[in-house]
Amino acid sequence: MALRIGGASKSFSDHKVLDAVDFDLAAGEVHALLGENGAGKSTLMNILSGIYTADAGRIEIDGAPVSVSGPAAAVALGIGMVHQHFKLVQPFTGRENLHLAASGLPVVPPRATVDAQISELVIRSGLDVALDVPVARLSVAEQQRIEILKTLLLGARILVLDEPTAVLTDAEADGLLSLVRDLAAQGHAIIFITHKLREVISAGDRVSVLRRGRMVLANRAVEDVTRDDLSSAMIGGQDVAVTKRAGARSGADLLSVSGATVMDGGATFVSGANLTVRAGEIHGLAGVGGNGQRELAEAVLGMRPLADGRVVLEGHDLKAASVAARRGVGMRYIPADRSADALASNVTLADNLAATAVRTGALGRGLVWPGRIRAHAGSLIEAFGIAGASGGARRPVRLLSGGNAQKVILAREIDGDARLIIAHSPTRGLDVAACAYVHDRLIEAASRGAGVLLISEDLEEILALSDRISVISRGRIASTADGRPDRAQIGDLMLGHA
Amino acid sequence: MLESVTLERRSGAGPVLNAASFVGALALGVALSLAVLVAAGVPTKALFEELVVQVFLSPAGLARTVTMATPMMFGALAAALCLRLKFWNIGIEGQLWLGAICATAVALYDIGGPLRLPLMMVAAMVGGALWILPSVLLKTWLGVSEVIVTLLMSNIAYLLLQHLLFGAFGDPTFNFPTSPVFDDAERLARFGWGDVNAGVALALVAVAVAALTLGATRFGFAARFVGDNPRAALALGFPALRVLLVSVLAGGAMAGLAGGVIVAGTEFRLTQAVGLNMTFNGIVIAALARNTPAWIPVWAVFIAGLNVAGASLKVFYGVSEGIVLVAQGVILLALVTGTFVTTYRVRFARRGLA
Repeated sequence: MALRIGGASKSFSDHKVLDAVDFDLAAGEVHALLGENGAGKSTLMNILSGIYTADAGRIEIDGAPVSVSGPAAAVALGIGMVHQHFKLVQPFTGRENLHLAASGLPVVPPRATVDAQISELVIRSGLDVALDVPVARLSVAEQQRIEILKTLLLGARILVLDEPTAVLTDAEADGLLSLVRDLAAQGHAIIFITHKLREVISAGDRVSVLRRGRMVLANRAVEDVTRDDLSSAMIGGQDVAVTKRAGARSGADLLSVSGATVMDGGATFVSGANLTVRAGEIHGLAGVGGNGQRELAEAVLGMRPLADGRVVLEGHDLKAASVAARRGVGMRYIPADRSADALASNVTLADNLAATAVRTGALGRGLVWPGRIRAHAGSLIEAFGIAGASGGARRPVRLLSGGNAQKVILAREIDGDARLIIAHSPTRGLDVAACAYVHDRLIEAASRGAGVLLISEDLEEILALSDRISVISRGRIASTADGRPDRAQIGDLMLGHA
Repeated sequence: MLESVTLERRSGAGPVLNAASFVGALALGVALSLAVLVAAGVPTKALFEELVVQVFLSPAGLARTVTMATPMMFGALAAALCLRLKFWNIGIEGQLWLGAICATAVALYDIGGPLRLPLMMVAAMVGGALWILPSVLLKTWLGVSEVIVTLLMSNIAYLLLQHLLFGAFGDPTFNFPTSPVFDDAERLARFGWGDVNAGVALALVAVAVAALTLGATRFGFAARFVGDNPRAALALGFPALRVLLVSVLAGGAMAGLAGGVIVAGTEFRLTQAVGLNMTFNGIVIAALARNTPAWIPVWAVFIAGLNVAGASLKVFYGVSEGIVLVAQGVILLALVTGTFVTTYRVRFARRGLA
């Protein structure tokens, strides 16, 4: 075996992200790795590429135990990773990016040698791409080819492709799949991470499935498994083990959205959507990203106009109300993109924490002294355990980690006056401990009597937290009569059936 | 073998590093600048007298410096109030000329009776604000770059200024393109110290109001969010558009007031030379003060001092205009480079090692 991982475990704080995972990979093979978001795929691959260190377990390459102490060690061991988000310098040409990568090698080869290697690689691998054009001008598929060339140039024999087709069109994906087959035929060992069963079946030799940190289906030949085997392994049964809400109350309707239509630049993002959120309820809105979730959330908050329909919160008709007026009656927003829509990254931590309180005048109507803002921030930093703030609340908020940045937003948005909290993908990009923290805060807010509209692409999150569930698909919202669709029904609704 | 050099953004420099880099940069800049002047023929023993005593220490010299710094404080506020909202006001001179024109109009047409002088100042602010208004409207409605609009509006303002000086505002008893001299009631009070006038008090009040508004009011708080991330400001319910409009119009008003203070405080009439170079000086002072109003008086005096010293070097030692600009530019460059050191850390890594 080119690569064998045995008993790999990894925990963050008290949360076990990987639990005694076994995995192996042969030269000349494409091994597909499936799993939902948060299943542990990225953690496993980060261990393999030296970004994390496993708490337990061993890694063998060609039968010899190795220690992947860091990214440079991984490269030296012939492990190459193509991340979902490319790590290319956009104004540089492909060739310059490759030279840049080569300059990180332990011994930097002369430029001419690198150029010769690049030419040879392009011919051998069939990775034909314009190398002397700035990367910014290349398509995503072409940039991906440069990323793959980069790993090969650095001597990778074990290639990890992290959801490589997620960013490609169908035709491009087909091209990539045949390229992957060619690379395997040349003797490379390839780990192919994907969500798509079609790709597993067309390009994979073997397949493994991770769910909640465990290998639920390990190292099986693709011919021996059916689609149903894979999808049930991936999604699992009905048992939902994470934080389940006990005794969720359902009071009167708090928020009522009726006939909401949101248009922008001639395109319709949300059409005739109806939705209610009750006091004390978490209402989950499931759906694949880009189906109008963001536009709906922004229209409810008043950031964009409703072309048609009504938004009523506790009897206040908010159709024409400003964001400030809506926040004034208790609306709060945790957007999906923290840095773009919630935080002013160069403004201090104290100011970011105080934004809501300052706007409402809670920290002073006329003059708002910086001392009061810092005192307010200090109490929130303590209450929400915002780490990384030791440098002081006067430092810019961009210095915080993702999890702590999200805590800043929670601390600011979930205050005593919050009546309706719109939380859009509130755990995106967070580690497991931070996810649990966010979930606990949302549950706490609901049990205090606030309504929570939880918009998420993560079905586990929706199923675990929601009292009722609706599904948004192409800007239309649907649910079952009882408001509690099961997994199969949610799947149908997502596809716009039912 | 070549070493590779990388720049890392610091997570924030401490006060010691900040102070050290500033003092170091200032010392280096002044030393280089002095070398330039000596090379240009200024006697070494005259340098201290010309650059320090005659600019900051002698009563008459300090009066010249403070007089020159007065409109510069308004010019720097005009730059800083806009820049805080990431609005580049490159047309400070245009707004200044409109302010000067409006104040002059009030004086020449004898408007306002006993309130004429305050009315001149108000007119100057209105003129400046109106002159910046198209740029902010075009930016928010149509996405037109404010750099282009404010810059070109300055050219229009200058042509308007000349048009008036050669026509309606011209002094009929005099062949030069200047307006008639203002009456005593149209002049800002002097304190018997050179040309220093009530304009300096107005400037300090404006600085104090700006500092308090930006530092300790809800408006200033909102401006920090709107300047850094307008989308987040919108989602938080801050009136992003209103904050931008008010800040930019206030900036235009400050530029206009610079013009009003020059015509009513030192020139006592409108000329073609009023407020020249104010765009450059205002932006430089605002940059050195990092858009913080409280530091604007300090840097305005500093920049005014450089100008006063430059003027006397030209007159008494025959140093050319170019050399004076080089000597000033070296100091400014050194100071800007100093902020680079506090923002980035330079790392040298030897090649061949991992």
